[in-house]
Amino acid sequence: MEAPPVTVMPVTGGTINMMEYLLQGSVLDQSLESLLHRLRGLCDNMEPESFADHELVYLLKGQQGNPFMLRARRSLIHPKAPWHLRYLGQPEVGDKSRHALVRNCVDVAASHSLPEFLNEMGFRMDHEFVVKGQVFRKGVMKVVVSKLLRVLASGNTENTEPMSLSYLVELSVLAPAGQDTVSEDMRSFAEQLKPLVHLEKIDPKRLM
Amino acid sequence: MQQREEKQLEASLESLLSRVAHLKGSLQSFILKLENEHDRLTWPSVLDNFALLSGQLNTINKVLKNEKTPSYRSQVIIPLLLSPDRDEELVKLTEQRVPVFSHEIVPDHLRTKPDPEVEEQEKHLSAEAARIGPEVAQKQIQTLNKLCSNLLEKLNNPRDDRDSESSALRQNKPSFNPADTNALVAAVGFGKGLSKCRPPGSVPPGHPGQPMMSTGPTLQQVTIAGTTSHQPGMGGQVAQQQPGQPGKMPSNIKTNIKSASMHPYNR
Repeated sequence: MEAPPVTVMPVTGGTINMMEYLLQGSVLDQSLESLLHRLRGLCDNMEPESFADHELVYLLKGQQGNPFMLRARRSLIHPKAPWHLRYLGQPEVGDKSRHALVRNCVDVAASHSLPEFLNEMGFRMDHEFVVKGQVFRKGVMKVVVSKLLRVLASGNTENTEPMSLSYLVELSVLAPAGQDTVSEDMRSFAEQLKPLVHLEKIDPKRLM
Repeated sequence: MQQREEKQLEASLESLLSRVAHLKGSLQSFILKLENEHDRLTWPSVLDNFALLSGQLNTINKVLKNEKTPSYRSQVIIPLLLSPDRDEELVKLTEQRVPVFSHEIVPDHLRTKPDPEVEEQEKHLSAEAARIGPEVAQKQIQTLNKLCSNLLEKLNNPRDDRDSESSALRQNKPSFNPADTNALVAAVGFGKGLSKCRPPGSVPPGHPGQPMMSTGPTLQQVTIAGTTSHQPGMGGQVAQQQPGQPGKMPSNIKTNIKSASMHPYNR
């Protein structure tokens, strides 16, 4: 029996095509405090939200082309909360002058039987990691400062070790396709975080 | 002669009263603001309020120092009649704060000496000052003056001098590492540096050349037990992490394929 056709077209029909605009950077552990203070001042006034999530990345290998990747995420702090399933498309290569990385994004919530379901569908877990950090918000922009932890024994999220001595800083906006003013706003916000962090558009394909 | 003095006294008292009334008004509004809008207040507006208060205190000081104001120290207020009865006039005058002109309120309102605690502190300070002697005092005064003038100079000079020194300092302490940025982005993007769980049949080589930090790459031992058609979360065991040993690690890979996967979709 043939594998189901894997399509990389964005999901259409009944939903708005959401794009994720992304800028990424990192900050060393010792400069984390100053970054958090600056973010508390710049972002909306609310208690910074901490999170600890376990993300599993599933791949569906078709006979042709690139495998299809889905990201399943669950909260370690709120174990009863639903799982979050996310699809991220390839970064749009349109315009070199656009300041942020733009890619199609589909987010859905899922029940706790998600890993089994994905396995049944034919997905295989490619890798997993734990992310712990804080979320800040400024209007539509979301800033996530997180530490990536490697899971040493698969499935065991207690036994983890940090991947590096830095925290990953991501500035993202979820907006419907076609709004280019968003990247301008993101760039001016990123300017305010210099020289602590340099948020820039990093093409993951370049790092492969 | 006396009339002139009286007139002066009255005029200066009036101006003092009006200034104090202004000060009272701004203090009241500031307190109201702090009590009711404290979560919406911004630091610049609080600073503005403080600046207003300080300006008003300054004008009061000026009024007091003015040569036209007679010395208030030479005036004495003597209560002529004290009664425990409520006085409506007084209530109106003082906006409901002093209802009775009696023995209790006189020591507070007609006080001319400072509070007892303040008097104690003043005594201490003057004893201290007398103790250290005039030359030491003079030296202390000179150091204080020098420090203040240094500080003023630094503050008044153009900003570029300051910026060049501070930027030189900042360069010695970078707050981010671009290599780390790339490593983290690669990890989040496609799992570079994270243990890969491969489907049965393919043996992952060790990852010796990963551009990770000095704690060394992780390897994995893949033990695949596909005894059931369901494959519950891939059982991967990772080799011991040896910190402080960068570079290649000997491959410890054991693959143990127990049964072919009974998956409906051909891989």
